[in-house]
Amino acid sequence: MRTTPRMFVAALAIVSATAARADVVEATSTTLVTTGQQPRGGAAGTTPDLVRVSPAFEIISVSAREIRNPVFSDLEVVFSGWGSLDLGELRWDAGSSEKFTGDITAGYVRGSLLKRALTIRAGRALVASGVGRMLQLDGGDVLLRLPAGVSLSAFGGAPVSQRFGTRSGTRSWNPAGGDLAYGGRLGWTLPLAGKYGRGLDLGASAVVVEDGGDVVRKDAGLDLRLAPVQALTLVANATYSLEAERLAAATVEALWAVNAKLFANVDYRFTAPDLFLSRLSILSVFADSSRQDIGGGFRYHLTGDLQVGADYHALLEPGEGDSTTLGHEAAARAEWDLGPTTVGGELSYLTVTDNGWVGVRAFGRHEVGRAFVTGDVVFHTFENEVNGEKVAVTGTVSAGYQLGSGFSAVLAGRAGMTPFLEQQADLMVKLVYNQTYRVREVK
Amino acid sequence: MDRHLLVVALAALAATGCTAKDTRPVAKADPPYVFPHSPHVDSDVNCKACHGSIVSETTLEARVRHVGLPKKNTEDCSGCHDQLPKLAIPARTREFDVRFNHAAHLAKPGMKCTTCHTATPEAKQVEPPRVSMNACTACHKHQRDFAEARCSPCHVDLKRYEKPVAAFKHTGDFLKLHGALARPSAETCAQCHEQTFCADCHAATTTPMRPSISFPEEVKRDFIHRGDFVSRHMIEQAANPASCRKCHGSQFCDACHTLQGVSPTAPDGTFRSPHPAGWNTVGSATHHSRTARRDITSCAGCHEQGRGLAVCLQCHSPKTSGAPTNPHPAGFLRKHDRDDQTKGICLTCHGP
Repeated sequence: MRTTPRMFVAALAIVSATAARADVVEATSTTLVTTGQQPRGGAAGTTPDLVRVSPAFEIISVSAREIRNPVFSDLEVVFSGWGSLDLGELRWDAGSSEKFTGDITAGYVRGSLLKRALTIRAGRALVASGVGRMLQLDGGDVLLRLPAGVSLSAFGGAPVSQRFGTRSGTRSWNPAGGDLAYGGRLGWTLPLAGKYGRGLDLGASAVVVEDGGDVVRKDAGLDLRLAPVQALTLVANATYSLEAERLAAATVEALWAVNAKLFANVDYRFTAPDLFLSRLSILSVFADSSRQDIGGGFRYHLTGDLQVGADYHALLEPGEGDSTTLGHEAAARAEWDLGPTTVGGELSYLTVTDNGWVGVRAFGRHEVGRAFVTGDVVFHTFENEVNGEKVAVTGTVSAGYQLGSGFSAVLAGRAGMTPFLEQQADLMVKLVYNQTYRVREVK
Repeated sequence: MDRHLLVVALAALAATGCTAKDTRPVAKADPPYVFPHSPHVDSDVNCKACHGSIVSETTLEARVRHVGLPKKNTEDCSGCHDQLPKLAIPARTREFDVRFNHAAHLAKPGMKCTTCHTATPEAKQVEPPRVSMNACTACHKHQRDFAEARCSPCHVDLKRYEKPVAAFKHTGDFLKLHGALARPSAETCAQCHEQTFCADCHAATTTPMRPSISFPEEVKRDFIHRGDFVSRHMIEQAANPASCRKCHGSQFCDACHTLQGVSPTAPDGTFRSPHPAGWNTVGSATHHSRTARRDITSCAGCHEQGRGLAVCLQCHSPKTSGAPTNPHPAGFLRKHDRDDQTKGICLTCHGP
């Protein structure tokens, strides 16, 4: 089971890479160095140590599309990966005990057959459809489009852990918590005559994740998208845990483009957070709480340059016993584009059972020819103290320059005062190469 | 074993890169147009007088423009021109966005060039007027193709240009809304977005750092972890515990908690309990059972040990304590019968 997808990837990758030529190749290379301080431990009653971390990264992303070959339509090879070297102390999120490490974020070969009725992908990719919940897999997926708008998709592979380490849920960062996952979705699409975008998408899907042969997660679900008119879209989905025999998550959204200036939405969400834990965790037998949030928001173009918006959600959380407590989440935002200058501000408010905050953010960007500068200040004041402090503030300033020939450079500095670091300062410099090559556009 | 996959991917990448070396950057700009089309269209000059070869062309080629000004003063020109103006038509290399068969279309009865080319490029104009997609959909009913996101038969590469279609506008709090939209129509998203784009946020296990760190200049983008997220993360986690679990496994949380000395896995002598007084005192207002019932995922940030010797089992297992308190939530036993006790996590406490 583990060898087959790997061999498939290898075969497809080699065939596509050697015998074919891509019509469009997009390449991005980012060389990035940061330096800053991170706190480390300290026994009770003592001040934590501060260590300097200075990782250097090389991040590469390449996408070769429209690869001419005799077998597949729309053949593409996509790769995104990175390597890093910790020049100082090991950063906490290195994901490895080695100073030199790296990973593949995405890497797959994708192509279509049978007049694009069958699409195949093999490699490292995310499962976005149905109850896949953006499952990152080393494996493959197929999508078969049948007549009358019916489609059938299936996926299988090993959920991804960090730095090619063990995939078992208890010993890795793997959020899926297992070493094997498979599932699929049966969908039906009914387009409605008239303006494009009107129609109905309906799907039923399932996913199973196993760890060492035992079930970590076994979910089934339904999803729906209905656009009766182009300006109105209704979306709904539900995920049911077959193991716990409970609803794990559900969402209902209505999105309405009232006119060219005004967009509004209302939404409702239900989640049972404990069902996002592995069914093989001892913690899974202690709780079956659920949460709901309901609210909505709008965005309005006051003028062509000035856009404002606001959102509010009521958060229904479990309280003592069978009671429910009410939390609130709200945000407001304004953004003003003045040609080469953009300025904006945000207000945010969150209060839940244990704590909450009021947040204020101001940001701006100004471009002068090939150069730009940005500024960003984020301020939060907490309802209850966090590590003995009530306030956190960070400010970031960046400056960049388009060097030409696809190269650009950015220098950024961040400083702040936070509950966990009385004084914080980070510096980042990066050199980016971003270029698109096209050989030929039409077959 | 996974290192083999890495080698294969890198080899494929290298090989693909080699074949791309003879390509050219897109940044080259074409020169302005020199031919005044509109007076000729208004005068009913036959387009084929200059674009004769297009009639038999089945494809569009970037370097083949099917332009050939008449060498002699023909009937098409002599109505206005005594002598043919001398014009040098510059070569154009602008790429085409669509696949199109002129020969098949022009052969249809009643089909004219102006049916689709309702506007033509004029002298000094750099950007040619685009043919509207309405010209295609006036005859071709692509509702199903559109609904099933099958754009590539006609569109060459949607991933690189602005989307004018109202149905795809990412309006409102799209960060919060987009997940539910993607579930039924992930293929639609894939028409424009590579998975590398999604992976920046959704593949947190394998990304080098969070996007708000690597893109400080992107002040207009919505980043979940912007600013001092470390100080806020426990509040955000309490507000929406499931959202963290979608991207982060427990060991990710514990990697930091261990270094900070707030996890039981912290090195000897560095552990600082983050719990309030009364955490293990039965009847206390701060007893851990209240938090565990309400938000068990917060426990998983430090205490996730799978079915191993978790701290919970010190009191809650019939194997390790004489008369354990039933730790299960109401209704739990109704859904899990005796058969369940022979498999999965139940075996930890109830197995032989």
